Amino acid sequence: MAYLTTFFWGWLLGSLLLGLAMGWISIVQHGEGVSKNWKRWLAALAVVLVAAALSRVVPGRFGYWLDLGLIMFALYLCGCAVGSWLRDWVVSRSAPAA
Amino acid sequence: MHGLFRWSGKWWPGVIPFVILWALAAWTSTAPLEADLAQRSTTALKDTVLDKRRIAVAGRDVTFAAEAFSEEGRLSAVASVDAVPGVRLVNDETRLVPEAKPFVWSAERDVVRVTLGGSSPLPSSKSKLMEAARAMLGGVEVSDRMNLARGAPQRFDNAALLLLDQIAKLKDGKITLSDNKVTLSGMARELGGREAIAAALKNLPEGYSVAANDVKAPPYIFQAYKDPVAVTLTLTGYVPDNNAHAALVAAAGRKFFSEKVVDNLKASIGAPSGFAAAVVPALGALSRLSTGTLVVSDREVKLSGDALYEAAATQIRAGLGKEFPQGWQFKPEISVKPTAAPVDPTVCQQLFTDLLGKARIRFESGKADIVADSAGLLDRLIETALRCPNANIEVVGHTDSDGEEPANQALSEKRAQAVTDYLVKAGLPANRFTSVGYGSTQPIAGNDTDQGKAQNRRIDFVVR
Repeated sequence: MAYLTTFFWGWLLGSLLLGLAMGWISIVQHGEGVSKNWKRWLAALAVVLVAAALSRVVPGRFGYWLDLGLIMFALYLCGCAVGSWLRDWVVSRSAPAA
Repeated sequence: MHGLFRWSGKWWPGVIPFVILWALAAWTSTAPLEADLAQRSTTALKDTVLDKRRIAVAGRDVTFAAEAFSEEGRLSAVASVDAVPGVRLVNDETRLVPEAKPFVWSAERDVVRVTLGGSSPLPSSKSKLMEAARAMLGGVEVSDRMNLARGAPQRFDNAALLLLDQIAKLKDGKITLSDNKVTLSGMARELGGREAIAAALKNLPEGYSVAANDVKAPPYIFQAYKDPVAVTLTLTGYVPDNNAHAALVAAAGRKFFSEKVVDNLKASIGAPSGFAAAVVPALGALSRLSTGTLVVSDREVKLSGDALYEAAATQIRAGLGKEFPQGWQFKPEISVKPTAAPVDPTVCQQLFTDLLGKARIRFESGKADIVADSAGLLDRLIETALRCPNANIEVVGHTDSDGEEPANQALSEKRAQAVTDYLVKAGLPANRFTSVGYGSTQPIAGNDTDQGKAQNRRIDFVVR
């Protein structure tokens, strides 16, 4: 893991920034979110993929791509969370003033 | 926390650029990552001794195939690859180098090259043997057909190096080491080489032994070439020792009265028994040829060349083999020199005088028995007599002044008669010859010195 982060920090930073941007936008975005049911399915899928990665059942290049995707996706989600929280903080701080 | 869960429902549109980013990352990073891991794995195995090593990387999984020389070595090699940062899985395709039973190593020499074959215990000992072979054989091509195997006996390298040293002493042949038994065959490069190899094999490391040593000595060669143009007799090859050398050269000097003896002989051990007893008469036979080559190879004597007349050829063909010690073979290839053009009696006399000026017909001391060393001279006298068939020849015997004159007179007559008999036996008509003896009455030099006496003891040919 440490090896991957040092080897591909550029791509990981990219997905973190993408997450930040998406999180930032998502607070003020109007429109349908993902339904609860869907979230459950997606979470289950994520668990399955993480389990597959940890148990190293996917061989060769596909295994590597899965690992890479999962790490990048984890950072994307972190970025989203931080971005959403920051935007929410900015919005809630400026709302009373307005 | 609840907010976070609520907001997360709206994060999905970012997944589309994320997937693109992911695909790009996967697209560009896979090859460099694989190359990097392959290189790191190779570096990790740098100090491990392995054969047929192959590393293939797919993603972060390393397929590692190799042949190890011990189980510990194999496990530690796999562990080193597994410990390389970034490696996810190691597909272990390693195995142990096959065990050779019996463990056979060989070195074979032929005309052009030395081939090292069989098994070698480690790559390092293999390269050590190749280097040693190149150094010892200086310039000879060395071909490596060795494979690697486990199960070599202790001190294998030392034993193999010693055997390589022996292959350098062979002209051709094979040395095989099977476990700790050594088998040798072939022919030594030089006389004495076989003995040198046998002596060196005593230094084999402990536990090793010689199962069979069939190294043959090279043939013991002696050659003599009589060159009528350069008027030389060239001796080459081997003689048993310095005494035999001196005796042989002295014999050659007596038998070849007009040729210069070029002595290129070397003393060496390994002569067949009866060497001198065979070579001296063979040289005598060569002295009777106008041109010829004598080759003595072990116990085989080959004499080829041209005799001066038919009877001489027959005598040499039939007679020489009988003079040899038992077990010796004689292979004559004698032809007869074309008869020279006839000359008139004056020229004949001149030729006789020339020949007898160079050498004298020699007899046993105080007797009328012609010494074998004079056969070459007598053949030339006979050849000359054949060239003037119409001339009558007086064979004249003389002695020095030692002893009583009646005895000298009788001896000179007997000696002249002995020569005449020899000529008649060679096929010349008896009626052409008269033999006369003058005792010591016609000296040509003073009888007060040994040299002068030697000159006076003579046979003259006078054409009438």
